[in-house]
Amino acid sequence: MIWIGDVLVSQGEGAVYRERMLDGARVWDPYRSKLSALYYLGKGIELTPAMRVLYLGAANGTTVSHVADYVEVVYAVEFAPRPMQDLLEVCRRRRNIIPIMADAARPEQYAPLVESVDLLYQDVAQPDQAAIVLRNSVFLKPGGIIILMLKTRSVDVRKEPNEVFSDTLDLLTSAGLVMKESEWLAPFHADHAAIICIKPEA
Amino acid sequence: MQSYWFGDIEDRRCTMFAGDTDAIIDRVQSVVTRMDTYIPPDWEQAVLCGACHDRQEYLATLQTVCIVAAERSIRERYSKKDAELLQMVRTLDEIDMVINLLSEKAAEWYLIRHPSFSRKYRRTPSHALVKTMHDKSKGALGKVTGEIGQLGITRTILAKEVSGRANDVMPNTSALIGGLVAARLMSHAGGLLPLSRLPASAIQVLGARTALFSHLKTRSPCPKHGIIFQHRRVHNAPRDIRGKVARVLAGKLAIAARIDYFRGVAEPDFLDTAQRRIDAVGKESGP
Repeated sequence: MIWIGDVLVSQGEGAVYRERMLDGARVWDPYRSKLSALYYLGKGIELTPAMRVLYLGAANGTTVSHVADYVEVVYAVEFAPRPMQDLLEVCRRRRNIIPIMADAARPEQYAPLVESVDLLYQDVAQPDQAAIVLRNSVFLKPGGIIILMLKTRSVDVRKEPNEVFSDTLDLLTSAGLVMKESEWLAPFHADHAAIICIKPEA
Repeated sequence: MQSYWFGDIEDRRCTMFAGDTDAIIDRVQSVVTRMDTYIPPDWEQAVLCGACHDRQEYLATLQTVCIVAAERSIRERYSKKDAELLQMVRTLDEIDMVINLLSEKAAEWYLIRHPSFSRKYRRTPSHALVKTMHDKSKGALGKVTGEIGQLGITRTILAKEVSGRANDVMPNTSALIGGLVAARLMSHAGGLLPLSRLPASAIQVLGARTALFSHLKTRSPCPKHGIIFQHRRVHNAPRDIRGKVARVLAGKLAIAARIDYFRGVAEPDFLDTAQRRIDAVGKESGP
């Protein structure tokens, strides 16, 4: 990852969402982006130029644009039409983002489009976040990495965030994924946890 | 056989799909993929297939296809009849809020200029009050109250359009609860499809979010009604059976919303029995 001093940046065409620029690089704000927060907390995995990424819950392309600055190609899945309009605008300027308007819970809808990827990033705030990851892990190469941004409040507001977190871990590991690390995203994002898993070699 | 956007692969032999962007999109939407035997596409296969020359072209073509496909889906979703109604009713509610806030501020301001003025013991409705303030004020305050009056006119026009549109988009729900309230229910659910998927119990408390979550988290009593309270049959009902009326009404609304989504036309038989059932509950006494 590229740091200028203690500021995380990415190299690419700026002014996507009026982000600040620093020495010609785009500042990646940890309070806006959960992935950036993860890097600020000293965790996360290095994004490399050869990587292919499947990004679930692309929203209006803020974080996606930064990821695309680092990697070869991003397959960005988003279901809602309103953020998709913004995401398309980003895609027209960045040739390495493939926008897919589909429900991340139904990968069969976009299976003919998505090649196998090195990183599966999931930021869909849904009650069945873990199930969505598992259904999409077919796109992941053996040894590939999953980053799940768990919004505990979307899974169950009545449960304690810690409880939701450990339930999700159980679901993922019992499906055969190997836990690498996890991190609560405080102070950048409340009640959000990042879970990083590896799909074992077959 | 594996079917991808660029062609079909069977026994390592690839049959390229010949067609323009639109044809490819139709193909992707019609392909049924079995996920248990699925293997993701490989760009090198596409090259062997003759669909592209190199990786760069593969990605460029795929991106074009996907952008056009997304534009098509967005257009389809926005052309649904409920999409515009949703924005209309949300704007209407926002205007209401702005009118209230501004009137409140203007009244406070007016009070300073006219210390003898009081809002107590007045039967004038708030829009008449705004008019009085407008007539008696000069300068910026006159302008502000004038704007509030204008907003009020806009609001009336918009409210009429919302009701008219709601009668068209959701005839059964509107017949039971009125176009405005029906549109608000739809806006809270996020559309006609989401509304038609809600259980009656959720429709009953739609719009009472704070009360509902405080009920789920603490031991406070559960809300009896949300938006549907705005309907006269609920708020005019005696206190002790209000919850019951709300429950029966919500039950019928859930059915009405489904008819609206799947059939889209008024069903007189259903409406007749539903109205009678709701009226019957309203006349009962005791919960």
